[in-house]
Amino acid sequence: MNNTDQTNIVILGAGKGGTALLDLFTRLPGVTVVGISDQNPAAPALEYAKRLNIPITQDPVQLIRHPGTHLIVNVTGDPDINEQVNTHKHPETEMLGGAASKVLWDLVQDESQMQAQLFQAEKLAGMGTFASGIAHDINNPLYILLAFSENILEETDLPTIHKQARSIIAAGKRIQSISQKITQYTRAAKVQDAVSINVNSTLDEALNIAQFATMLQDISIIRNYEDNLEVLANSEELFQVFVNLMTNAIHAMEGKGTLTVTSYHEDSFGKISIADTGSGIPDENLSKIFEPFFTTKPKGEGTGLGLHNARAIIKKYRGDLSVESTIRQGTTFVIELPYATSK
Amino acid sequence: MSESNSAGMFSGRKSEGLVLVVDDEPDVRKVVRMTLEKSGYTVLEAEDGEKAIAEMKKDENSLLLSLIITDIRMPNMNGIDVINYYRKEWPSVPLIVLTGFPDMDMATSMLQHGIADYLVKPVEAEKLRSSVSKTLEKREVHGF
Ligand SMILES: Nc1ncnc2c1ncn2[C@@H]1O[C@H](COP(=O)(O)OP(=O)(O)OP(=O)(O)O)[C@@H](O)[C@H]1O
Ligand SMILES: [Mg+2]
Repeated sequence: MNNTDQTNIVILGAGKGGTALLDLFTRLPGVTVVGISDQNPAAPALEYAKRLNIPITQDPVQLIRHPGTHLIVNVTGDPDINEQVNTHKHPETEMLGGAASKVLWDLVQDESQMQAQLFQAEKLAGMGTFASGIAHDINNPLYILLAFSENILEETDLPTIHKQARSIIAAGKRIQSISQKITQYTRAAKVQDAVSINVNSTLDEALNIAQFATMLQDISIIRNYEDNLEVLANSEELFQVFVNLMTNAIHAMEGKGTLTVTSYHEDSFGKISIADTGSGIPDENLSKIFEPFFTTKPKGEGTGLGLHNARAIIKKYRGDLSVESTIRQGTTFVIELPYATSK
Repeated sequence: MSESNSAGMFSGRKSEGLVLVVDDEPDVRKVVRMTLEKSGYTVLEAEDGEKAIAEMKKDENSLLLSLIITDIRMPNMNGIDVINYYRKEWPSVPLIVLTGFPDMDMATSMLQHGIADYLVKPVEAEKLRSSVSKTLEKREVHGF
C-alpha cells in the first residue's frame, strides 16, 4: 500500500493554520491530503476541503488511526491532541506538532503574503509610471494652452496675443507628439507580417535623418557594414528604432564625438550595434531607461518613450535590445533580430 | 503685463501680496503670473528651489513674501523633499502645490504635511485665484 513516491498527510485543525497548509499541500505534487479534522464544524478549512473532495471529520482519532498515513500535522494548538496522536497513531507514522508545525504554517502564510505584495507592486510599477507619466506630460502643456487661450479672449495687446498664440501652438505640438508616440503601438505592424529587410540601406536612411541633428556639430560617423545583411521585421518600425537610438546617441555626445554603426551576424541573429562616445548612463539609470516616460532630458524635450518603444518593437520580432555603458566614455546599444538568409 | 522680475512693491498701486512661483517650465510660470497679476498680486518667478532662495535673498523680497506656489517635480528633488526644503528656509510661508500629477495619495500626504492646497494642472484661473486668496486670508487670521 505504501508507495514510496507518495506522501499521505493528515491535518489536525482546520483554522487559519489548517487552511494555509491545506492550500499548500494540495498544490504540491506527490502529496495527498488523506483528511482533515476539527472539533468545530464551522472551521474554515473544512468547507474548503469539502470543495476539494478531501474527507473531513470532527473526530481527530478517526484520522489519527487512518492506515497508510506518513505524516500527521497538528495545528490545533490543543496539547491534549498530541497525547491522542501518540496513543493512536501507527508506529511508522510521523508527527509534526507544536512549535514545528507553527513555524511551518508561519512560513506558508508569509510566502503567500509576499506573493500578493509582489504582485501588487509589479502591477503598480507598470500602471503607475505609465498613467501618471502620461498625465504629467500632458497636463503641463494643457495648462499652458488653456490658460493662454482664455487670456486671449480678453487680451487687447496684439504683440501679447501673438506671443501667447505661439506658446499655444508649441504646447499643442507637444501634446501631439506624446499622442503620436503612444499610438506608434496601435498602428504598429503585426509580427506575422515580418519580411526580410535590408539592414544596411535602412541604417543609411536613418543616418540621413539623424545627420540633420549633427549638422553644426563635430560628430563623425563610422559605418562597419556586413554585406547583404537581412533580418526579419517591419522596415518602418526598424527605421524608427534606428532613428531613436541614433538621436539618443547624438544627444548624449553634446556636440562632439564619434557615432559607430555596425551590422554583422552571429548564429541565427542579425545584429546591429549603435555606439557613441557620449556621456554614458549611470548605473542607477541603466535599469530604468526602458521604462516608459523615463527621461533625463528637460521638460518638453524628451518624452522618455523612445527606448521603451524601440525595445517593444524589437521584442515583437523575437529579438532583443541590450545596452552597455561606461560613464563618460560612451554607450553601445545592440539590436538582435532573427537573421533572414541573404541572397 | 510686466515681464520684470523685481517685486516692485513700492512702485505704482498697492500689491495684494508677493507670490513666488517655482516651476521649471517658463510658460507655466508665465501663466500663473498672468493669472495672479490680474488680481493685483506681485509675482516673482524661479525655475527651481535653489533659484527661489537666491531670488528671495535679493532686496527685501524675503520679508515681503506671502506665499509660494510650487511644482513638486524638480531636477534634484521630488515630492515631500521639496516641501521640507522651503519649510527649512521659510517656516511660516504657506505653500500651494501646483503639479501635473493627479495623485490622491500624494495630495493627502502633502496636506498632512501642512501645505495649504494641492492643485492639479490644468487649473482654472478662478480656482487658482480663490485658492491663493483663501490661503492669504487664513494667514492673516492666524497671524503667522
Ligand atoms: N546613447 C545614450 N547615452 C546616454 N544616455 C542615454 C542614451 N540613450 C538613452 N539615454 C538615457 O535614457 C533616457 C531615455 O531615453 P529615451 O529615448 O527613452 O527617451 P528620451 O530620449 O529622453 O526622450 P525622446 O526619445 O522622447 O526624445 C534618456 O533621457 C537618457 O537619459
Ligand atoms: Mg530618445
